[in-house]
Amino acid sequence: MTIRVVKSGVQTTVQARPRSGLRHLGVPASGPADPLSFALANRLAGNALDAAGLEITLWGAAFAFDTDALIGIAGAPCEVRRDGRRVDTHATILARAGQQLDIGPATAGARTYLAVAGGIAADTVLGSAATYLPAELGGYSGRALRGGDRLQICDPPGRPAPVTTPEEFRPPTGRAIALRACESAESGLLDDEARHRLFDCNFTVGARADRMGLQLDGARFETTVAGRLETAPVFPGTLQCPGDGRPFLLGIDAQTTGGYPRIAQVARVDRHLIGQLRPGGHVRFLRRSPEAARQDLDSMLRYWSRWLPGIEALL
Amino acid sequence: MHPGPDDPRVGPVRRAGDDLLAVAVADVVLAQALAARLRATGDWLEAVAGMASVVAQFDPQAVDAGTAADRLRDAAAGMPARPRPAGEAIEISVVYGGEYGPDLAHVCELTGLSEAAFVARHTAAVHRVDLLGFTPGFAYLDAHPDFDVPRRAEPRPRVAAGAVGIANGRTGLYALPGPGGWHIVGRTPERLFLPEARDPFRLAPGVAVRFRAMAPDEFEDRAGQ
Repeated sequence: MTIRVVKSGVQTTVQARPRSGLRHLGVPASGPADPLSFALANRLAGNALDAAGLEITLWGAAFAFDTDALIGIAGAPCEVRRDGRRVDTHATILARAGQQLDIGPATAGARTYLAVAGGIAADTVLGSAATYLPAELGGYSGRALRGGDRLQICDPPGRPAPVTTPEEFRPPTGRAIALRACESAESGLLDDEARHRLFDCNFTVGARADRMGLQLDGARFETTVAGRLETAPVFPGTLQCPGDGRPFLLGIDAQTTGGYPRIAQVARVDRHLIGQLRPGGHVRFLRRSPEAARQDLDSMLRYWSRWLPGIEALL
Repeated sequence: MHPGPDDPRVGPVRRAGDDLLAVAVADVVLAQALAARLRATGDWLEAVAGMASVVAQFDPQAVDAGTAADRLRDAAAGMPARPRPAGEAIEISVVYGGEYGPDLAHVCELTGLSEAAFVARHTAAVHRVDLLGFTPGFAYLDAHPDFDVPRRAEPRPRVAAGAVGIANGRTGLYALPGPGGWHIVGRTPERLFLPEARDPFRLAPGVAVRFRAMAPDEFEDRAGQ
C-alpha cells in the first residue's frame, strides 16, 4: 500500500496535527499552513480531520498508486488529472492501483492538500507527524518529498464512503486576501497615521514567502525603537516590523520568539488564510477588536462544524 | 514570601491578539518562572517567556478573555522572589571571523574593538543561557556591554547551523540553519539540538557557557567526524 512520488513539485511535505505546547523550547507549531483546507481534504478521504496528508505548494505534483485508494483534494484550486483525464476535486477521487494522479499548478492561492483514506504513515517527533523542514522533524525523514519516494498508506478503519463537498463548504481562494487582525503588543510604537495606514493599504507578498513567514511590500512603517527591543514571544499570525520597515507576517512554522516590534496579530478566525498567500499576491488587514474577532471565530466555527465536526481543534 | 498584587516586578496584563495575553515582568528569570507556572496549570495552549515578558495563548473556545486575564494576573501576583537557577558550565568551541563569522569585521567596527580584542573578551566572559527560543535549540545568552550592537537592519534568509550571532550585547547560538537577524561572528561544530535524543536540547535556561576559540582546521576535523 504505497504512493510513489512521480513529481514532487517545488515543495511537497507530509503534514499532520501541529505540535503544541512546545513553543517555550523553541519548537514551532508546523502542521498544515492552511488547516481548514487540510481538514476538507481529509473529510473527502473519510479520515480524522488531522490525519497525516500532503501539502503541495504552488506548482503541483504527481503521484502513482500501487493500490486502490480514496483521495481527497482541497485548498488552492488546480487541475487534477487521473491518467490524463480531468477529475472533479470537490468529490472523493478513486485512484485505482496502477493509476497516476497529476496535481496541476495552483491557479490561485498557494497550497493544495491531498489526503488518502487511512492517512499517510509518518515519523512522529515531539508529539506530531508534521514536517518541520528547518529542523528536519517529522513527516518523511523530516524533508520535502522527492521524485521516487514511496509513502506508506495506513489501513483505513472500515470502508470510507465517497462524498461530495457541499457547495457552501467550498471556500473561494483568490489572489487578494483580507485578514482580520487585532492590535498587538507594540502597536503603540506606530504613530497614529501609521496605525491607520496599516489597515488602509494593500500589500504585495514579496519573494520571501514560505511556511515561516512572508515579507510584505507596499507601505513601510517606522517604529521608534526598531532593532532594539527585548526578545519577546511571537506566534503564527504575528505581524512584525523589522528595521527596514517592511512588515513581515509570520506563518505556521513561525519562530517562537523575535526581536522586532509586533504591530498586529492576525485573528484566529483568519490565520488559516495565511497559508494561501503566494508571492505576488495581495493582502490587506481589517482592524478588529479582540472581542469582535472572538465573535467572528465563534460564528465561523459554528458554520464549519456542520461539515467538519471537530474543526475547532485545528484552527 | 509572596509579594502580592502590587508586585512592582510585574506589569499589567495586556491583549496581544484575540487569543494572546502579554504581561511585562522585571527580568528573564521571573519570566521563565511565571511561564513555567502557567504551563503547569494546563489552562493555556502555550505560555512562553521572553526576556522581560510572558505571552500566554488561551483557547477562546474554552475560556473567555476576561477569565484568562484574571488567571494570568493571579499567577503573576503570587510569584516568589526566586534566585537565579544554577547550571553546569559548558565549553563551546568556535571559529571566529572569516567565512565562519562574516559579520565579525562589522561588529568590530561598531564596537571599536580589534578582532583579537573581541575574541579575547568573548572567550573570557561567562555567558548564561537566558532562554531557548526562536527555533528549536536556539539559545539566547545573557547580555554583555562589550558586544552591544543592534540587530542587522535586514535579516539574512539563511544562517548556518552552529552560527554564533551577536545582537544587543547578547550572544545567540543557532542550532539549526534558518533565517536570522543577528551579526554572525563565528561558528561552532557542536550540535545543540538532537531531535532523536531523549533530552533533545543541549542547553537550558540558567546553564553557563564559556567559548573557546578554535582553528578552522579543527572545526573541519570535528564537523567531518
